[in-house]
Amino acid sequence: MILVVLEHDGARLRKGALEAISRARQLAMGPIAGVVIGENTQAVAQEAAQYVPVVYAAEVGPYTAEKWAEAAYAAVEKSGARVVVATASRQSRTWTARLAYRMKAGLLEDTLESRAEGEQILATRYSFLNRVTERQRASLPVVLTAKPNTTPPAEPAGSGAVEPLEVRLPTGVEVLERLGEQRKGVSLTEAAVVVTGGRGLGSAEAFAGVEELARTLGAAVGATRAVVDAGWRPYSEQVGQTGKTVQPNLYIALAVSGAVQHQAGMNKSRYVVAVNKDAEAPIFKIADYGIVGDVHQVLPALIEAAKKLKD
Amino acid sequence: MKFLAVVRQVPDGESRLRIEGGRVDLSGATMILDQMDEWAVEEVIRLQEKHGGESVVVALGPERAEEALRTALAMGIDRAVHLVAEGYIDPITQAELLAEVVRAEAPALVFTGGQQADWDAQALGPALAEALGWPVVSWTTQIELEGETHAKAKHDLDEGAEVVRVALPAVFTSQQGLNEPRYPTLPGIMKAKRKELKKLPVTAQSRVEILEQSIQERTRLNKLIDGKDPVAAAHELVRLLHEEAKVI
Repeated sequence: MILVVLEHDGARLRKGALEAISRARQLAMGPIAGVVIGENTQAVAQEAAQYVPVVYAAEVGPYTAEKWAEAAYAAVEKSGARVVVATASRQSRTWTARLAYRMKAGLLEDTLESRAEGEQILATRYSFLNRVTERQRASLPVVLTAKPNTTPPAEPAGSGAVEPLEVRLPTGVEVLERLGEQRKGVSLTEAAVVVTGGRGLGSAEAFAGVEELARTLGAAVGATRAVVDAGWRPYSEQVGQTGKTVQPNLYIALAVSGAVQHQAGMNKSRYVVAVNKDAEAPIFKIADYGIVGDVHQVLPALIEAAKKLKD
Repeated sequence: MKFLAVVRQVPDGESRLRIEGGRVDLSGATMILDQMDEWAVEEVIRLQEKHGGESVVVALGPERAEEALRTALAMGIDRAVHLVAEGYIDPITQAELLAEVVRAEAPALVFTGGQQADWDAQALGPALAEALGWPVVSWTTQIELEGETHAKAKHDLDEGAEVVRVALPAVFTSQQGLNEPRYPTLPGIMKAKRKELKKLPVTAQSRVEILEQSIQERTRLNKLIDGKDPVAAAHELVRLLHEEAKVI
């Protein structure tokens, strides 16, 4: 039995949840159960039941790693699962560690692909700041997280049953205040196109152009560490070693120099585009296409050209 | 109060990595105290400066990891414990080994890095918390003690951030913005040589095995367009993305 922990935004399953279901199906290690944890789980569990035959709904309130680990563990016990699959969001990379410890399981973190071989699971992942690809192996039980955008989202497969799941709520962490909005829909890590602005843009206001290009291309907006440190953009948009790792089809870096810390978050993108006035900027070394020029002149022209294409 | 930082030694992100026999060979790399652990060490020193007590740094790793511990001592940590073990050990097993030391030290809190710059794992802090039965706050950007029993902390989520009150003892993992780490001073470095560094050899069976590592540098097209005429350059780029790369 495989248990898939399904992330959602309080209304719908996230794309990462559908990718996690695909991963569980690929393993082909028997039946799959799902669990939806958090708030408003009944509605989300109904949606999830189109994909997996049994879905547990664990209503535990706002996120804490302790509650998620407890609920996932309760679902493991109820289903008898020896493999747990979840999307490799930052939050799940926290609670899956607790869960793996409790299950005495091997933890395969942030994997690109995975397959079963008897009682073992083999997986590949990146390490050394995304510079190295490695193959790993662990014997069951295993907890596995799937890097977003590495697996096609699952298709519906019928209609399953929803069962409530009782969870003993752990204490220790009390949420006092939420800051910043929970984004609906496609997140930065899940986006197929990302447009990132760097310090060379010169001001927070210049991000209006970045946003417009992103809107035109249906892309998510990213920012570099220098931009976030300067307070121009929220931390949640940061791409890099201490921000988010993205692997879109297209990554557009505007006025980004290409420091190692930033490369660690984007160097696996399928196509990289760079606009920078410095032809020697490190970003050009890892770019497929580039424009050597002033971003303040190139960006408006890019928006126009992109709009024309979309019309 | 006692404050404890768990650190690791990793290659500098700028260092050249080589593969030897299907494994990353670090013999030519510059090894440093992980930057994310530096934030953890700095925060522990600040907590001690503010609230008094003792600071301890703990590492699990090969002999050379002692250099990272000495760096932490030179920054101002009081003493160090080094669990000496060679080779790859997965974070869950690391947590199991480290929990024994932490339990014996009984600190008010443990701070460690948010992600390891070599194994790219984020699991160590939360797995250690689980091993100890403590709460965890990951990606912490702010922490303030409320007496000896609680802390108020701000930490990042996937989207946005939140403020939490957490019962101590607890594990925290670091994030950018937490603080600005101090540089070890020359007197600090001299003093660090005389500070206690206890070595404990350990053996462990990793639950995860690394079969092979490789560096596949993606070959990039490196097609550069002169931007002197921005409109023409933009149209050419959009054409290439649409017709050649087919990504828009």
